[in-house]
Parts: sequence; structure tokens; C-alpha cells
Amino acid sequence: MAGECENAPQTPGRVTLHRLNRAEYNATVRDLLGDTTQPAKDFPIDDHGYGFDNIADVLSLSPLLMEKYSTAAERLVNDAWTRGAFNSCALDPLNPAPCAHEILSNFARRAWRRPVQQEEVDKLMTFVNLASQHADPPEVGVRLALRSVLVSPHFLFRVEKNAPPGSTEPYTLDNFELASRLSYFLWSSMPDDALFAAAEAGKLSDPAEVEAQVRRMLADPKARALVENFAGQWLFTRALGTAVPDGTLYGAFNEELRAAMRTETELFFAEFISGDHKLKDLIDAPFTYVNDQLAAYYGLPLPGSPTHKRVELTGHPERSGIFGKGSLLIVTSNPDRTSPVQRGVWVLEQLLCSAPPPPPPDVENLPPPITPDMTMKERMALHRSAPACQGCHRLMDPLGLAMENFDPIGRWRLQEVSGAPVDATGDLPDGAILAGVRDMQSYLKKDPKLTNCITEHMLTYATGRGLSEADHCAVKDVADKAEARGGRLVDYILSIVSSSHFTQRGAEEEQTP
Amino acid sequence: MSKKFRLSRRTVLRGTGALMALPLLEQMLPRNAHGAPGTVPRRLAVFYTPNGIHMQKWTPTIEGPAWELTPTLEPLAAVKNDLLVVTGLANQPAFPDGDGHHAAATGAFLSCAKVYKTEGNNLRVGISMDQVIANHMTATRATRYGSMELGIDAGRGIGNCDSGYACPYANNIAWSGPRTPVAKETNAQAAFNRLFAGGIPGETQAQIEKRRAYGKSIIDVVRDDATALKGQLGTSDLQKLDEYFTSVRELEKQVEDVSVPSMTCASGAAPIVSEDPTAKTKAMMDLIILAFQCDLTRVATFMLANARANKVYPFLGLSGAHHTYSHHQKSQSNYKALATIDKWEVTLLQYLLERMKSVIEVNGLSLLDNSMVYFSSEIGDGDSHNHVNLPIILAGRGGGALTPGRHIVYQQDPLANLYIYLMQAMGVPNVTTFGDDGTGPLPGLV
Repeated sequence: MAGECENAPQTPGRVTLHRLNRAEYNATVRDLLGDTTQPAKDFPIDDHGYGFDNIADVLSLSPLLMEKYSTAAERLVNDAWTRGAFNSCALDPLNPAPCAHEILSNFARRAWRRPVQQEEVDKLMTFVNLASQHADPPEVGVRLALRSVLVSPHFLFRVEKNAPPGSTEPYTLDNFELASRLSYFLWSSMPDDALFAAAEAGKLSDPAEVEAQVRRMLADPKARALVENFAGQWLFTRALGTAVPDGTLYGAFNEELRAAMRTETELFFAEFISGDHKLKDLIDAPFTYVNDQLAAYYGLPLPGSPTHKRVELTGHPERSGIFGKGSLLIVTSNPDRTSPVQRGVWVLEQLLCSAPPPPPPDVENLPPPITPDMTMKERMALHRSAPACQGCHRLMDPLGLAMENFDPIGRWRLQEVSGAPVDATGDLPDGAILAGVRDMQSYLKKDPKLTNCITEHMLTYATGRGLSEADHCAVKDVADKAEARGGRLVDYILSIVSSSHFTQRGAEEEQTP
Repeated sequence: MSKKFRLSRRTVLRGTGALMALPLLEQMLPRNAHGAPGTVPRRLAVFYTPNGIHMQKWTPTIEGPAWELTPTLEPLAAVKNDLLVVTGLANQPAFPDGDGHHAAATGAFLSCAKVYKTEGNNLRVGISMDQVIANHMTATRATRYGSMELGIDAGRGIGNCDSGYACPYANNIAWSGPRTPVAKETNAQAAFNRLFAGGIPGETQAQIEKRRAYGKSIIDVVRDDATALKGQLGTSDLQKLDEYFTSVRELEKQVEDVSVPSMTCASGAAPIVSEDPTAKTKAMMDLIILAFQCDLTRVATFMLANARANKVYPFLGLSGAHHTYSHHQKSQSNYKALATIDKWEVTLLQYLLERMKSVIEVNGLSLLDNSMVYFSSEIGDGDSHNHVNLPIILAGRGGGALTPGRHIVYQQDPLANLYIYLMQAMGVPNVTTFGDDGTGPLPGLV
């Protein structure tokens, strides 16, 4: 397969008009107005596709949501006004125009993430007259105008202009469009003043400037959005909140541990943003973050702290990397038992992008044990004896079985609930034998699909569009460049943001029916 | 607008504790051309539950009026004569390409249209029957809200949804167009606030007029923005912008209706916020009743959970998850668990029906008599993923549109024909075909 991509044509693909999702809306009004109430938490859920909830094609706008936008806009403006967020000048009742103009043009420019035209500001200014026609002070008009800015499509959508009509050439984003792509990728929010200034000066066409901006943005606390919104979905941490382990069998799990596990995974991933780790070390990085409670639960030495501390996993290699994290182990289990299938599918989908096809119809579920002390592995072997199932299960099961030493709530174990000794070995179709989680980690790290797959997920998230076979070479190219740069998370991000997938927008293709 | 509910120009009558509205008053009835009160309107509520039903414990053995309650339907004893149990209807368009039965069939649940298999690009379903009715209500300006979409689960927000079918198919039964799911409200408090939003106590007519003028001018300006944008965008973007235009039109209607004098209805207390699925569902049922009583809308849909939901219901004494149980493999313990869940679902329906029966309207009949309640799932038997023998209850008399108290068995007639009947009963003109296989109104319901 070497060289298959050498002369392959690459088109940047096309991102549809992109509505702000709930996380983006909350972060944007925080940065725009200083409002930290997260108004979008009461909006209807954003549907997701391709594993993420920021996919432009899937983000629809319903009348209910529009009502919520409208209500939120009124409340946001009133609160911000009361807080004095628009106090940059005083509205003179006799001559309100200069100050109103200043407030509105500044606000629209920031809210719409681009320079505003004179006629756009003029239109906003008509609200001041409207208020005076109704015998209201100019302030009322300015507030109406501010509300309209927040329900305008320029605010609710990330607008990227179309290529010239009839053109089949990719369109290179202008500096402001690129600034928004950068800030929504790294911060789930609007560009800040520095990024905006760089766009205004036309500097974002310069790769060195983009790199400097990316490094600056990743150092900002706002980059936490990558943990919550990218890693939270890629690594499934988000599902931890709704996981319900069976309380009778697994009563050791509780809400404090749930919170501690979420924090652990977040801090662990955050270190990849700030630290000097290779991204694929996510698989087996020998450190984690625990508090006393979680350390005791995991069987680690106590750090002596009710809050999380960074610990080296010397002597406890089983807890290294993402597979040692309770959050992942729980969300890939059933409430009452481990699910080697779910765990195996997770590895295949999230790390190798080699998801097996879904099971055929009328497939039997895992059968109950024939004898009480049957191991999970034996039950799985029985289960996949049907020829229709073998092909896929031979891929999934060994990867999942290698994690069998972790129970459904993420504890290390040597025995199953039945008392049967855990058998955590699995034979892969290529002849490799994985005996436990450490084997699986080294097997995964050697798989060339790993870096391409991480790239595929990250590029999907960065652009907000689902990738297809046509993007295969671009993904490989981004991954290769990232590895050549050093293979850190920041190298992947830099490789993504300098790719044509990120800096360009494809011309419209003929619509498939 | 503050989140706190404000009573507007409506009669202020506080309910006692639970959500409670006044009966539909004569002055709230739709007016005819001469301004005289018309008849009590017909309403339709849809109750969706995922993963199918354990049909053996659901299906009555006897056809016709002599039918007897089955173990699963037993909680409905008090409203037995208000029920039409319908078996043998088929939703052929619900069958997916390959696997993905839950999402594909949930997309087809109210649309009876084959769902296009995609993870995101190019979503395509038919318009759902509730939205056809909603469009009619909007066009005739019958009610403040064309429809109301409720549910209790927002969605888990990670991973893929169902074997190559995008999540919107699994999370929405209401579709206003082939590409546009109608998001459901999952917060009862927010739904309540929305129903009764818009008024400020003690406002004068002049103040109302001014507020309306302000609201409208915001809409005019942003609509201008969107129109100007059109020229800069491509075809795929315009589809998204169309959703914006549609939503803005709806918003405009809300703004204009702020001072409609027929909005004379007391809301009672706001619903209690709870994460308990039973309490949360009951709160949503209360809201449907309230919205119907106040004639704020005449069509409501409710999703008990999203498609393929694998929820655990420990309060039913169950440790396994719903979707897993639904692949029962003919195991008795799975059947038992499924029947327990089914019965809980039916108990929630019972709550809705009995409350609707207790509300007497201005024509002397109960709200249930004046309404049609449709309960079903996207699947019949969960293990075999079939869509040809769906578990269906139609409750109420729909103001004469339904003759309940019977068990009707059909021979694989299209589900779409049931919807044609319901849409016609709701007054939608000229609907004779629907979805991919609807050919005419289902006979035998009256």
C-alpha cells in the first residue's frame, strides 16, 4: 500500500454552515459578555454524528431552539447591561448616536467575529429611533439592537463564504474565518482580542504566526474545552455521568468515585495538551492523577490528599494509559458484567478506526454460563461458535478480553464474580496472543493505524464534518507530518491547522440525490 | 425574560399543589366567523416508548369488544372502555438497510418513510404526521403552538447511535421536513415556562403593542441578515439557512400572538423538577394535559427514551438494561424483565389517560373523550427487530373519531393508513396518502 497516497488528489472537503452547539454557545457568551451562567444548558440537546456533537451537517435549528435563543438573548443583554458591560461610553439622551454607534459596532464586530459593514451598523442604529418613536430612552433601542445581534445568523452560525459561483476550486478561508476555525477548535469559543488582531493584520496567512497562536491558545485555560469536548467524546468520558453499575453487585462504586474518575481522565488528558508527551503514549503513559479515595480503590499508594495529585505508576503498570482509567472501563461495561465486546469495539472504533460491521440480525446475546464457574472467555467462545459471528468476534473479543482483569467498575481483579479465575488472554487473527492489558497496549502502539485513527477523530472534531474514504490520504498526510514534528498533541494540532482540510473550503459538488 | 414564570393578562387562579388547569372555558374555544364559540377541539397525543414490547404478555387473545386485559395492560383497567388495542399493523418503511433497526424505525415511527442511512451528511426522512397536523394548525392559526415535542432523555452524547444511522434518527420522532428533526424539550420546567411565556402582569394594551412592535422589528432585522447571507452561500448551506427562516417565522408567530385575548387559562404551579423517570414522565404528561386544556396546542409528542435506549431501571428491581433485555433470546428471565418494564410504561400511560378522563370540558365530556392518545413503539418484538406487528393503543374517543372498548386485529395493513385516519380526524384537508406506503384512512376505528 506504500505510495498509494503519493499522487492522490486531495480536496479539502466542505463544511456546511455551522450552528454553534451548546458548549460553543456557552463559551462564546462567556467570552463575549462575561456571562458564566451557561444559558445553553437549557437548550435542546445537540444531536451528534461521527462521534461528536459539533458536526455541522447534524446541527439543526428548530423553532424551539430559536425561541430559546431569543429568550436567552434578551436575558443576556439585560444582565450584561446591568453589570455595566456596555459602559465604554455614556448615552447622551439628546445625542445618543455617537455612543450607540460605538457600542453597537464594537459588539457586532466581536459577536459576528469579523469586521462589520457601515450599513450593518446603520441597520442596528434604527432600533434607537424605533425606541424614541415609542417614547422610550435610547438605551432601550440599543438593547434591542444588542438582542438582534445575538439572534442574527451571523452570531448563531459560523459563516464561511462560498467559493465564487461556478468555481470548482477550493476556496481559501479569509483570516477571520480561519481565526474562528482555530478558536472553535481549541477553545470551543470565539477568537479573543489577540487572535482577532492577528486576523485583522492579515497575519494568519503566515504559518509561523498560526503556530505561535496555537501555542498561545493551548496554554490558555480555555483549552480545557479540548478536554471536555474533544476528549470527553473521543474517550467516552462524557458517558460516565449516566453509567449505572448494578448496585447489588457493584455497590463499591459511588458518586465520589464517579467524580474522581472523571477528574482523573480530564487531568490525564490535559497533561497531553500542556506536557511533552507523545500523543500515542495515551495508550500506556506511566502516570495518573488520583486522590486518596481513588488511589485506595485502584490499589495504589495513597497520595495523602483529598484532591487529585499526579502520581507515577511505578509498580502498577496496569493503571498506565487510558485503559487503566475507571471512567473508560465503566462506560464500556454492562451494569452487571464486563463486556469484552464493548471494550473491544471501543478499541477498534476509537483507536484503530476499524469498526467491525454490526452483528447480523437475530444474533444471540451472550449465553448464560453453563456451569457456574465458566469464565467470561469461555462464554464468549461459546457465543461466537456461530459461523456468522466469528469473523468480527475474532477481532473484537481478544482486545476486550485482554481487559478482563478490570471489573465493570474499574477495579483490578483476579477472579470473576462467579469465583472463576480471570482469563485475560486473547488470540488475534494475525496470530498474536495478548495476555492482559500490557500486551494489548504494546500491540496497539505498534499498529500503524493508531496515529491515523487519532488523526481522523481529531480532524473530524476540528473541522466539524464527517470524514470519508476520500479523506484517507489527507488523514495519513496529517498524521505523518505530526509524527515527523515530534508526535505530541500540539504537533497533531499544528499539522491539522496547516492542512488544506482546515485552511480551505471545497467548492460545492453536485448534490447527491 | 426572567426564568420565573409570570402570569400575564390571564385570570390568576393558582392550582393546588400539582399542576392543574381550569377546564377549557367557553371564551377560550376557537371562534367561528361570527365570533361565537365553536366546538371543543380534537387533540392528539403521541406516546413513544423504545425497544418494543414483550408481545405475548401484551396482546389480548380475544378480538372485538369482548377482549380482556392482559398482564401488561392490566394497569389500564379503569380506562379499559376508553381503549382501542390495535394489533397487526405493519410499518414496512421502518426496515433498515442492513442493521440499525432502532434508529431507522424511530425515524420512520411517525413518518412511515424509509430513512436514508447516513452518519450525518444528507439526513433524510419524511415529514412526521404530527408535523403535518402542526402545519395545518399553524396555517389556520388555530393555536399558539403548532405542536409540542417532549421527552425525558436528552441523549448520551457519545459514540455512534445505531449501525450507521445518525443520532437525530434515534433521538427524534418529530420531523418538520425530510432533513429537519424537531428538537424535543426534556426539561419540564422549561416546557412549562415556554407554554406560558410572553406576558407581564399588569401590562396595558399599549405596552403589549410596544413589546410586540419591538419583537417584530428584531425579527425583521435578523431576517434581513439571513436574506442578505443567501447570496454568499452554497446550496448545502442554504438548507441550514432554511431552518433559520422557518424558525424565525415560528418565532414571529409567538411574538404576534403575545396579545391574543383567548389566552385565558390559569397555569397552576410549575412542575417539580426531578430526575426520577416516573416523576419526570408524569410532569410531562401534566404539561400535555395543561396545553390541551388551555388550547395552546392540539398535538403533542412524547418520547419516553431515545431509540435503542439501554437504561437501567433499578426502581423496578431490575439490574440489567432495557435494550439488552429486549434481545430476550426467549429467556424467561428476560421476558419477565421486559414485561416489568412494559408494565411500568403502561402505568405511565394510565396516569395520562386517567387524568385526561378526570378533566371535564365545556361540552360536558372529558378531555379524554375529546382527544386521541396514541401509544406505540418502533418495534414489536425486540429480539427479532420486527416492525410488522406493532404494539398499539389508541385511547379516547377523539370527539367521535374513535370507538374504543375493542381489540382490533389487522392483517399487516400499513401503519401509515392509521396516520392518514388520525390526520383526517384532526382536520388536515386533502390527506389521502402518506409516507411510503399509506394509501388511505385505516377502516374500522369508528
